[in-house]
Amino acid sequence: MRPKNLFPLLLLSALLAGPALAAPDLDDIISQANNVAYYSGDDGRADVAMTILDNQSRTRERLFTILRKDIEEGGDQLYFVYFKRPSDVRKTTFLVHKYMDRDDDRWMYLPSLDLVKRIAASDQRTSFMGSHFFHEDLSGRHLDADHHALLEENDTFYVIKNIPKEPADVEFASYTVWIDKKNFLPMKAEYLDKSGALYRTMEVLEVATIAGYPTVLKSRISDLEAGGSTVTRFSNVKYNLGLDDNLFSERYLRRPPREARQ
Amino acid sequence: MNHGSRLVQTSILRPKLITTLMVLFTLALAAFIPQVHVDTDPENMLAEDEAVRLFHTNTKKEFALHDLLIVGVVNEKHEHGVFNPETLGHVFALTEFAASLSDPDNPDYKVVARDIIAPSTVDAITQAGPGQVSFDWLMAAPPTSQEEALRIRDLAMDNPLLKGTLVAEDGKAVGIYLPITSKKFAHTLSQQLEEKIATFNTNGDKFFITGLPVAEDTFGNEMFIQMAISAPLAMLVIFLLMLYFFRQFRLIISPMIVAMVTVISTMGLLIGTGHTLHIMSSMIPIFLMPIAVVDSIHIMSEFFDEYKKIGERRKTLEHVMSQLFTPMLYTSLTSAAGFASLAFTPIPPVQAFGIFVAIGIMIAWLTTILFIPAYIMLMPESSLRNFGVKEKSDLAVNNTALARALRPLGIFVHRWPKIIISVCLLLTLVALYGISKIQVNDNPVNWFTKNHQIRVADRVLNNHFSGTYEAYLILESKLAPLSPAQAQQELAILFRDQALDATSKAVVAKALAILTRTAQQGSTEAMLALLEADLLESQAVADDPSYEVWADLLAQIDILRNRSQIFKRPDVLRYIEGLQAHLLNSGLVGKSSSIADLTKKIHKELFEADPGHYTIPDSVGGVAQSLISFQNSHKPGDLYHLVTPDYQKANIWVQLQNGDNKAMEAVVRAVRIYMIGHPPPVQISHKWAGLTYLNVVWQDKMVSGMRDAFLSSFIIVFVMMMILFRSPTWGLLAMVPLTMTIAWIYGIIGFVGKEYDMPVAVLSSLTLGLAVDFAIHFLQRARTIFTRTGSWHATITAMFEEPGRAISRNVIVIALGFTPLLLAPLVPYKTVGIFLASIMAISGLATMVILPALITIMQGWLFGKTNS
Repeated sequence: MRPKNLFPLLLLSALLAGPALAAPDLDDIISQANNVAYYSGDDGRADVAMTILDNQSRTRERLFTILRKDIEEGGDQLYFVYFKRPSDVRKTTFLVHKYMDRDDDRWMYLPSLDLVKRIAASDQRTSFMGSHFFHEDLSGRHLDADHHALLEENDTFYVIKNIPKEPADVEFASYTVWIDKKNFLPMKAEYLDKSGALYRTMEVLEVATIAGYPTVLKSRISDLEAGGSTVTRFSNVKYNLGLDDNLFSERYLRRPPREARQ
Repeated sequence: MNHGSRLVQTSILRPKLITTLMVLFTLALAAFIPQVHVDTDPENMLAEDEAVRLFHTNTKKEFALHDLLIVGVVNEKHEHGVFNPETLGHVFALTEFAASLSDPDNPDYKVVARDIIAPSTVDAITQAGPGQVSFDWLMAAPPTSQEEALRIRDLAMDNPLLKGTLVAEDGKAVGIYLPITSKKFAHTLSQQLEEKIATFNTNGDKFFITGLPVAEDTFGNEMFIQMAISAPLAMLVIFLLMLYFFRQFRLIISPMIVAMVTVISTMGLLIGTGHTLHIMSSMIPIFLMPIAVVDSIHIMSEFFDEYKKIGERRKTLEHVMSQLFTPMLYTSLTSAAGFASLAFTPIPPVQAFGIFVAIGIMIAWLTTILFIPAYIMLMPESSLRNFGVKEKSDLAVNNTALARALRPLGIFVHRWPKIIISVCLLLTLVALYGISKIQVNDNPVNWFTKNHQIRVADRVLNNHFSGTYEAYLILESKLAPLSPAQAQQELAILFRDQALDATSKAVVAKALAILTRTAQQGSTEAMLALLEADLLESQAVADDPSYEVWADLLAQIDILRNRSQIFKRPDVLRYIEGLQAHLLNSGLVGKSSSIADLTKKIHKELFEADPGHYTIPDSVGGVAQSLISFQNSHKPGDLYHLVTPDYQKANIWVQLQNGDNKAMEAVVRAVRIYMIGHPPPVQISHKWAGLTYLNVVWQDKMVSGMRDAFLSSFIIVFVMMMILFRSPTWGLLAMVPLTMTIAWIYGIIGFVGKEYDMPVAVLSSLTLGLAVDFAIHFLQRARTIFTRTGSWHATITAMFEEPGRAISRNVIVIALGFTPLLLAPLVPYKTVGIFLASIMAISGLATMVILPALITIMQGWLFGKTNS
């Protein structure tokens, strides 16, 4: 881990303090944004409501609670997802061990089948539970999977273009992210397909500061090719709960921790 | 009888004016022709607001289904068929190429890239290691080794949704299913694909393109080719025949002009009035051409005869026109009525065809009676003189083959009338039996000749795959909503099921009390909402163990709310499984795919690919959780091709190896019978969609519509005959030959096994109007001669001279005029050609045989009556 990743809060407060500070370099911006988006606090939890809208305006709901614990700031992480709705998938749980140096581990527990299943995670760009979010959107794309370039810096945003190092592994040719200069939160992303057409967008629709952390409360991913979008709302967001690493182990899949259930 | 001579005055006095007006009229209508809009979509055989079509369109939308173009890649040479790196490389490249294609002229017509079914675009649910399931592309990149190629084969073969659809069970073929936004793009797309395929170094790989949209769109393109070939050829044949009969180049130009004027102005009118050029209407020119020249032939025949006697063209014309006005009007009206009766069919393109041919016939009639005299007036007198002289010698001792054939026929008919009628009646009886054997069937792919590449592709691919013809069986929940009291009862049961230990028993007791309290609501929804709020309130203050029980109880409310989601229910999915198995075992379908298949496949993979788990899970939760696992794939939306997101409608995708309507009908029947014999666990309605099914629907409409059109045109023509001859008996007599002819022709169709398809159906009613012409001329002339001679024997002898030859000439011109259709590359046109030529020939002959025989038998009565 590079030392600069150790001081995101420091850097953030410095930025908030005054614009006089010299512009950070590209690597800083990216890792900063990554930390703000995915590593706030040592751990965290949120109730998540996903509304999946298809191109015929038919909606589906997913209600779940997500727990997160960082092993290392900007590095390995643990995620636990507990499903509440639809009622027929209630108590389905999902566990991710995110690693920097290898493919993530993913498990799923299907209560009605009483089955714990490992799910191969070689490809992160698959749908998360039928939504327009990819698994990668929830836990973050590895920073070193792309080449980055600062396209533009204006009063509000750093605009960064990202080109995959392994184009064959992903469905996009590039994506551009708008990072808010105030708080380093990625506010928008646009994905271009291999013919150069814009086909997918991510937008942050609502932000609040919770426990000092800029926190996304509402975001949307839209599929411009097929039509349809998924709006995700976060509520009951809490940080630094002191979650135990053990809660993120396989045995808790069948017996989810109280922090996830309530 | 002087309408004719009065009308002809204008033409005689102002021939140039008449000609100018005709040219202007034609040019004005011709101006619309460039706006032509071609429509080859058989869906348009049904009106746009037709219920089944609306349902089809809605189904396509609801289940995100598109019309499919299918590229089949076959390799019979390689030991592993298509599963070798090279062939799969081609498949990969072709899929990539196809994904980006659109119509250069209309960018909205394109391939729906996200819904392509090809090895590189489908997800494989596979075992990725011990206890690990993986959702990954079946062929993310072309294989680099034979082993990789075989692995792709094995994975695909293990997926019942792909086996038989994406990969042939024999491993020799792989399919690329290209969904397109519009069927109108199919032909252009297949050409673009063929260009790409041509760049491959095809090492034993063969590429076939098929699917109903291609057949339909390609048909439209070939339709133009056929029109460009057949119509001018018909013109040429008619021209040569007339040249043979009249040997007067200059004169016979005039009927050709009449034909041109008729065709151009009718097509202009058709297009100008906003009609599309459909498969049916494309046949209008070739129908009009022979019909348009018939009246001219009569005028010219008569003019030859009379000119030599009268020797002055103006008087000759006046005489001829007054003689022919009535029969020409009636023959035109009957023909027009026969076609116009098609307006009674419930099929818009057939209606347009019938109405515009009828209009065309009347345009031809008007042009003939106005323009032919004007044309004769404009000809130099010298050329006419030649004409008369030449014919004179011919008429005196007519020894042409036609004349020599007709005379013995007359003698024979007069001598053996009873035998003739008995034989005809016997033939009619046999024919009726033949008619009872007629198979109603059609198949757009069979519109192409046997060796057409579309037919070849169809044969090859349906040999390898489970079927390239799609139909969609849509099942819909008809579950009645619960009343508040029923909901309360159900919930009480669900709640009690949650009482497992002391804690939960206590909570359940409290909940049941709340339930009793809230049950007084007017609507079930209001009651559930209130109950939910109350339970949440109790949950909020509960301790940790109770909290979870309250959560379980709250979930029961949701379960009750979702009871309409029947296609998650194991019993319903097993019912679908049973229905599918029945269809497969019946041999009527190649394959069917449903939410049940998908659920079983996921269930199996979740359990380490254990074949014993290729089953429907035992609970709603088990089904729902299997499906949500699947939704962690690249294409979670694939689920919604098989079920709607509210799980109230399911789609069983049925693949047929045969596009015959009767094959589809058999499937429809099998499903209906099965569902009656095996009632589903909940009320389920079923309806069909898909192009293969739509074809069946419009065929049904056509068969009944054509029967109505036939009966109505029969009645109209009969009434017209009674008016013309001022006698019901003579009117009925005029109907006999053509009625028998039609019975015989359809009898033959039944015996030879030719199927009753679109062209055969359409022809039934219109031939009635055409064939009655011969009877009109025969009876009219016979009555005139009888009035003059007073003897039937003398009349019949005379009838087989000039009048017989005139009728025979017309028979020959019309019958042969349609034969260029036989050269068409498209089967419906061939059918029309054979059918019309034979019906004309047979009805002409029947008229010449049956009518004199009948009159001979009934002469006392017929002429006695007429004379009195």
